[in-house]
Amino acid sequence: MNFRRKLLIVFALTVVLSVAAVGLLISALARRAFARNEEERSAALMAQFQREFDDQGREIARRVAAITTSEPVVHMAAELDHGESASYFELAKLTAQDYEVDFLEFVDGSGTIVSSAQWPAKFGYPEPAFASLVPLAGKPAFLKQENLQDTSELGMFAVRNAKVGDHPLYAIGGRRLDNNFLTFLDLPSGTRVMLYQNLGEASPQLSPIDSSSTESQTRHAADKLALLINATRESGREMTAAVHWSSDAADDEMFHAIPLRGPVKTQALLGILLIGNSRRSYVELERRIQASALLVGGGGILLAILMSSWAAARVTRPVEKLAHAAREVASGNWNARVAVEGADELSQLADSFNRMTAELVNQKDRLVQAERVAAWRELARRLAHELKNPLFPLQLTVENLLRARQNSPDQFDEVFRESSVTLLAEISNLKAIIGRFSEFSKMPQPQLHPTDLNEALRGIAQLFRAQFQSPGRKPIECVLDLDENLAAIPADSELLHRALSNLVLNAMDAMQDGGTLTLRTRQKDDVAQIEVSDTGSGLTPEECERIFTPYYTSKQHGTGLGLAIVQSVVSDHHGTISVRSQPGRGTTFVVELPRSPQTSSTGTEPDASLRDEDVKTR
Amino acid sequence: MKLSAFQWAAASSLLLTISAFATARPRYGGVVFVSVSEAPTSLDPADTTQPDSFTRRNLTHLVFETLVAHDDLGRIGPGLATSWMFDAAGGAPSWQFRLRPHVILHDGTVLNPAIAADSLRRANPSWKIISDADSVIVECDVASPRLPEELTLARNAIVNKSTDGKLSGTGPFRIADWQPGKKLTLAAEERYWGGRPFLDGIEIEFGKNFREQVTALELGKSDLINISAEQSRRISSSSVQVWFSQPLELIALVFAHAPQSPDEKSLREALALSVERTSMTSVIAQGMGQPAASILPNWISGYGFVFSTEADLFHAQHLREAVRIRPAWTIAYDGSDAIATLLAERVALNARDAGLQLQPTRSATADIRLERIPLTIDPALALSMAASSAGLPPPTIDSDSAEDLFLAEKLFLASQKLIPLFHLPVVYVATSALRDWSPQPDGMWNLDNAWLARDLSGSSHP
Repeated sequence: MNFRRKLLIVFALTVVLSVAAVGLLISALARRAFARNEEERSAALMAQFQREFDDQGREIARRVAAITTSEPVVHMAAELDHGESASYFELAKLTAQDYEVDFLEFVDGSGTIVSSAQWPAKFGYPEPAFASLVPLAGKPAFLKQENLQDTSELGMFAVRNAKVGDHPLYAIGGRRLDNNFLTFLDLPSGTRVMLYQNLGEASPQLSPIDSSSTESQTRHAADKLALLINATRESGREMTAAVHWSSDAADDEMFHAIPLRGPVKTQALLGILLIGNSRRSYVELERRIQASALLVGGGGILLAILMSSWAAARVTRPVEKLAHAAREVASGNWNARVAVEGADELSQLADSFNRMTAELVNQKDRLVQAERVAAWRELARRLAHELKNPLFPLQLTVENLLRARQNSPDQFDEVFRESSVTLLAEISNLKAIIGRFSEFSKMPQPQLHPTDLNEALRGIAQLFRAQFQSPGRKPIECVLDLDENLAAIPADSELLHRALSNLVLNAMDAMQDGGTLTLRTRQKDDVAQIEVSDTGSGLTPEECERIFTPYYTSKQHGTGLGLAIVQSVVSDHHGTISVRSQPGRGTTFVVELPRSPQTSSTGTEPDASLRDEDVKTR
Repeated sequence: MKLSAFQWAAASSLLLTISAFATARPRYGGVVFVSVSEAPTSLDPADTTQPDSFTRRNLTHLVFETLVAHDDLGRIGPGLATSWMFDAAGGAPSWQFRLRPHVILHDGTVLNPAIAADSLRRANPSWKIISDADSVIVECDVASPRLPEELTLARNAIVNKSTDGKLSGTGPFRIADWQPGKKLTLAAEERYWGGRPFLDGIEIEFGKNFREQVTALELGKSDLINISAEQSRRISSSSVQVWFSQPLELIALVFAHAPQSPDEKSLREALALSVERTSMTSVIAQGMGQPAASILPNWISGYGFVFSTEADLFHAQHLREAVRIRPAWTIAYDGSDAIATLLAERVALNARDAGLQLQPTRSATADIRLERIPLTIDPALALSMAASSAGLPPPTIDSDSAEDLFLAEKLFLASQKLIPLFHLPVVYVATSALRDWSPQPDGMWNLDNAWLARDLSGSSHP
């Protein structure tokens, strides 16, 4: 991943995380605030309901008391004393209309209904709840479920006794707890109230009375609220639950269920007051927060992209240029420079790079110069050494001739003949030395054609077989470990033969006490690998470093050009040669040649410095 | 000339007598305003879509006449027919009714046998009726000594119906204006064969509830109202005339179908035993009715007491428990009837005590209907009317004897198509200004000879 992308990710993450954190914080605060508001609203509504409930109760009690003292009722009570009740069976209905109560029953002292407004046909029947209602005479109003012909209704009732004559007459009157009751409540926006009646075990579904909805909407509400209602019924305590009206969370409502009981607390629940607070404003606020967060986040990411692009333009481009220049330098283009713009750290870095590169170039030049000088010195030394050997006998021979001419003229002819032979031999030796140098200096370009490396090695093994077993030396075993699947590679078989011969000769020179020479071929990826291993004395690390230097030799004799020639041939084949060796453990030369023809991409000269033990050169 | 004391006394007495005589003497003129709760939409007596009721009978009686009619004592007497005879000698037994001559219909046509025959055919499509020069002959499949009684029914009133549907009768009043279901204005028929009535007209307003009727009466806007018996106790009778007939209206439960199985018979019997007739009559009917387990009231049949009206809840529960499958019945009632709702609910309550399920409804279709069946003083006709309400054919009554009547009624009740609850009287309330208004035993208000005793110039009527 490049720097620009990292920068972009960092900026974007910073923005997104910041916005997300802020958004979450605001959401949490909003949620808490709404929850608090909800609780306060519900509590206020509950208090209002309770006040209204109490007020209504007092009003009902007052009206029922007024009924019991009204003239028709008093008259009826007096008549009932004489057993006359038939003519009053409609009185409850008429009185209920006059006093605007929804329920009214006149019940005599034995609990028999004299007249009923809500169920007129029930005259003469016993009032089922008479025993529990009588003690409530004169007490405050209470909730009661009134069973009617087809249904049950919840109402607020009061009981009063018309104390006329010897027999009591009870008036049980009340008002329905329905929409009209709920309309008295002052509901804030987004709040609504529903009243559920418990119709008893025979009707497990509750009958809702909604202050605001149609019948079908109320039925739908009953279905949705069934869980909360049933839970409240079972627990008998106030409960709260969220109701999801649709898939849109904005339609959710938080409902508080408050159980309503009759005068006897152990009785079953008569109804449940449900206060619903719409969560629309909260959900919409939350959505606005999320939308804003997304918008800000999106904007932030966009800004991050822009900023990262700008930063990249300011920061990464110079760095990229620097990296490119470094790669150029690494690939050998020592003239790569970075433009220096500005005066910041990157400019300083670019300037430092340029100076470093220039210094490296200078150093390289000096190094090359020094190596050339060293190589020339080595060459001169080697040349001096090589030439000194044959020149000394030449000098002695010429001095011997001069002496002989001077001192023994009669032996001069023989001395001249012997000396001539020696001179010619040494001149020949000089010519050979000069020939090798000349040969090294003008190594021909390889002519590549498909060459079977295995055949080449077999040829070499065959060529040196006699020398491996020559008398006067310990025998050398030649082992061929050839990869028969090795395909032919493009190579100059002549040059290759020469290079491999040099390696074999070096190996033989290293195994003066005999040993094993292993010739190995392997196929590795896109290179063909040739190993020439001996079990000779091995090389020290310093020798490994310098072994490919021309004219360097570890032997007592030799021009030191053999491995240089090998290196040159390998290099001309675009291959690499390396050496693995440890003193006393033998040496292995590894030559890797490309299996397909390729041209050199850098055109560099062989690196004269050796960096590690397993050295590869091109 | 100076009069002596005696002369003064004589003159005063004479003046007083003349004055009193003038006060009691009927006067022509005036319009009687009537308010009723029903709202008929047709005046055609033969229109079977209109339910039978006393109001409808009264309206028919004012405009149309039958061939024969009941007199004040309930006896069959001449109407549009002056005489009638049964002829069994011919090929088919028949009744021949000789028409009263020179009777002019309201449209000016002279009544003739053809018009009478047409009218009777419309009312009785199955009858074979022919007319001759002065008579209408009704042929019977079997000897039907009760045909004259049947001809007294309102539906057999003689009506001349024109092609455009206009109705003309021969009654003392003709139709001046008819607003179906709202108002009927009748004008005295000057050419009435029985003599022009004293009243110039009668204006009847329909669809008025009890409160409206009473208010109209108290305000002088109505002279005559027809209220339910149970409402009569709310009338303070000091300034009005309240007239009660004998119990003539049967309140009954009528089943839509005959019982389909023995179990259903048991359940119907259980229902009949569960009903508390006494409390219904005393409370709902405010004591104005008589509990009834028979179709005919005791004053008509004489044997009504034989049928027990007491509830037997224990027996009813026993019958119900013997039946495994108990249907849920519906009981329909007329929502505009003040006590119908109460009665239906009370019956449902009583039935529930017996373990029967009964659901009151205002729907037109139900298993049971709570019916008001107007009867008549003729017991056989009354049974026929009840049978007609129950969807049964008229009972076969061999003779007028009480035994035959009893058997016929018993057979009728055994069909379990009808459960009598109680009988109610017909009640009319009139202002004191309405004179010579003599309701008849059959419940007719009989305004033919009524007259108004108030100052017509100062009338407060609109």
